[in-house]
Amino acid sequence: MSGPRVLVVDDEPQLLRALATTLHGAGYEVETAPTGEEALVQAAVRPPDAVVLDLVLPGKSGTDVCRELREWSDVPVLVLSAVGDEREKVAALDAGADDYVTKPFGIDELLARLRAALRRTRPSGEPTIEVGDLRIDLEQRAVFSGGERVRLTPHEFALLRLLARNEGKLLTHRAILREVWGPAYETESHYLHVYVSQLRRKLEPDPARPRTLLTEPGVGYRLVAPAA
Amino acid sequence: MTALGAGLFRIAHAVRPRVLPAAATLAAVGLVTGAIFLFREGVPVLSLGTLYVFAVLPVAVVWGRAYAVLAAVASMLAFNWFFLPPRHTLRLEDRQNWLALAVYLFTAVAVSDLAARARRRADEAEQREREEALLAELSLALLHGQGVEGELGRAGAAIAAAVGASEARLELGSVRGAAAGERPLALRTGDRRIGTLYLSGSPAQGSRGPGRERFLSALAALLAVALDREELGREALEAERLRLSDAVKTAVLRAVSHDLRSPLTAIRVAAESLASPSVRLSDDERTRQLETVRAESERLDRLVANLLDLSRLQAGAASPERELVAADELLAQALSALRDDEGRVKVSLPADTPLVEVDPVQIERTLVNLLENALRFSPPRDTVRVEVSATEDQVVFGIVDRGPGIPRGQLERVFEPFAQAGDDERSGTGLGLAIARGFAEANGGRVWAESRPGEGARFSLAFPLVRAAVGVER
Repeated sequence: MSGPRVLVVDDEPQLLRALATTLHGAGYEVETAPTGEEALVQAAVRPPDAVVLDLVLPGKSGTDVCRELREWSDVPVLVLSAVGDEREKVAALDAGADDYVTKPFGIDELLARLRAALRRTRPSGEPTIEVGDLRIDLEQRAVFSGGERVRLTPHEFALLRLLARNEGKLLTHRAILREVWGPAYETESHYLHVYVSQLRRKLEPDPARPRTLLTEPGVGYRLVAPAA
Repeated sequence: MTALGAGLFRIAHAVRPRVLPAAATLAAVGLVTGAIFLFREGVPVLSLGTLYVFAVLPVAVVWGRAYAVLAAVASMLAFNWFFLPPRHTLRLEDRQNWLALAVYLFTAVAVSDLAARARRRADEAEQREREEALLAELSLALLHGQGVEGELGRAGAAIAAAVGASEARLELGSVRGAAAGERPLALRTGDRRIGTLYLSGSPAQGSRGPGRERFLSALAALLAVALDREELGREALEAERLRLSDAVKTAVLRAVSHDLRSPLTAIRVAAESLASPSVRLSDDERTRQLETVRAESERLDRLVANLLDLSRLQAGAASPERELVAADELLAQALSALRDDEGRVKVSLPADTPLVEVDPVQIERTLVNLLENALRFSPPRDTVRVEVSATEDQVVFGIVDRGPGIPRGQLERVFEPFAQAGDDERSGTGLGLAIARGFAEANGGRVWAESRPGEGARFSLAFPLVRAAVGVER
């Protein structure tokens, strides 16, 4: 009775071994690859349920691997990055990675992110989405916070709908702008900051300490159900 | 007596420049007087007075207006004395002759003035031409030369020739005071003082006035442009240097961050997995995680030691404490520090025991780094050979691997900190070889690499052989 299969990609043999042993101990079936090229071959031969991918690899980088993987696979990808790799991290997320953890990470954080990535459902045909005490009626274009109707502008609604459909997933500025405002607005991140701020005022009990619409500094936003 | 002689000599010296033109002037007047004497039978004598113009004109052209006026006055006196009645007196019978003399004198002076002025113009034009040629030459030299200061040193003689001084030198910046016999001329454009032109020798010569001013300001402007250009070049160079050092710092930070965080992450993951309730490990897996913690801690320790060594070397603070050591003892220490558990290093020693004078701790580090590098780039379980050999004057440690080798263009680059051959990430921060070379050179040795790509690399570490008077018992 083995759990989901995880493909771990890292060029550091010691880290690869420590991660493989740990994930195996946590109930996952683990496969490893020391390079991006080998990872792509392995993922094609036996598609894994999730990929844990180091950003800095010899040869094909983590971002390259992400991009190529996304051409034929929706497998959740969790990126391992280091402080200082911000640009590369955003590039990987834009290339289709689902989330990242920053080295040196603890295993609780890693396991939580991995669980979330595996649990995440692709956009379904459900007419309503619930995140915490937020309820979004997609057909009626109505939003309720704690049972009370909240009035949103069309762009605010589009932004909230995108975040809610990807509950828990980190969306980059660029990805949100492209989805909500259109490809011509990909770099106009001030729109996004203004609208996120407006949404928080309407949805968060304490907009200065958001618990649902969270910021990943320099990277993007994610919508989560507040921890109880 | 001698004082009187010296005084006379000085007067003669001062007077001599004036004696020649004066004598020549009088000779010219005498010549024309003789000619009139010859012609006076056939021609009315009064009209022959105009012939004196031929004395005045050449004098005016050659020696200037003062001598021309002298020639004119002398001519009129001679004409009056020799030809106008009553002859051999300076009195005149006919009043009309006074008028004629006055007209002649005026004409002579006017003509001499015109001639002298034409002469001066010609001189000025010539001078300007010389100055312009000099400026053109100087600007070319400044444009292509090595530096403004150096070119000015060379340009002194040309400037002196152009302005008619015996010597000239140009000083940039503020005035440093003229030497004896030097005349300082300020060079400025606008409010900016560029420097000073010091002229010495016959300072009376050379053009003065507006011509000189023009030349000086042109020279100043030229120098200002050259100096500005040099300054801009320096700034561009400095900016490039800063940009490069920024790039190096970024590379260092990235490399160090990556190399510190990887072992740190492995340690944290392995250690937490041992304690976490959500991770269940077998005994084998526990041992493996503990082994990871140990190996990665050692790696971190080596990295920190390398960084410290490198910063000491770069600060010049790695002063070696040199002593006589046997080459094989150095190698033995290095091998025990390397923890070559798998026995991958094979050693061949010379028959005798060569001695070197080095800091044993630093050279042990050098050997360890060279060996680690060789092991890291060799196929797993492949051996690395160490050959110690002694020649006439040096001891060489040769470390030979059968890794991928180093491209020809990279043989020196591998010794730069944070550089590594190709894009291979295996070599980590690439500090080891830089430190090896730093310690070797601080101890009077050399490190170099030879390689044929695909056939591995040979790193050599050489020290001068010490011929110590050790009585070896046979």
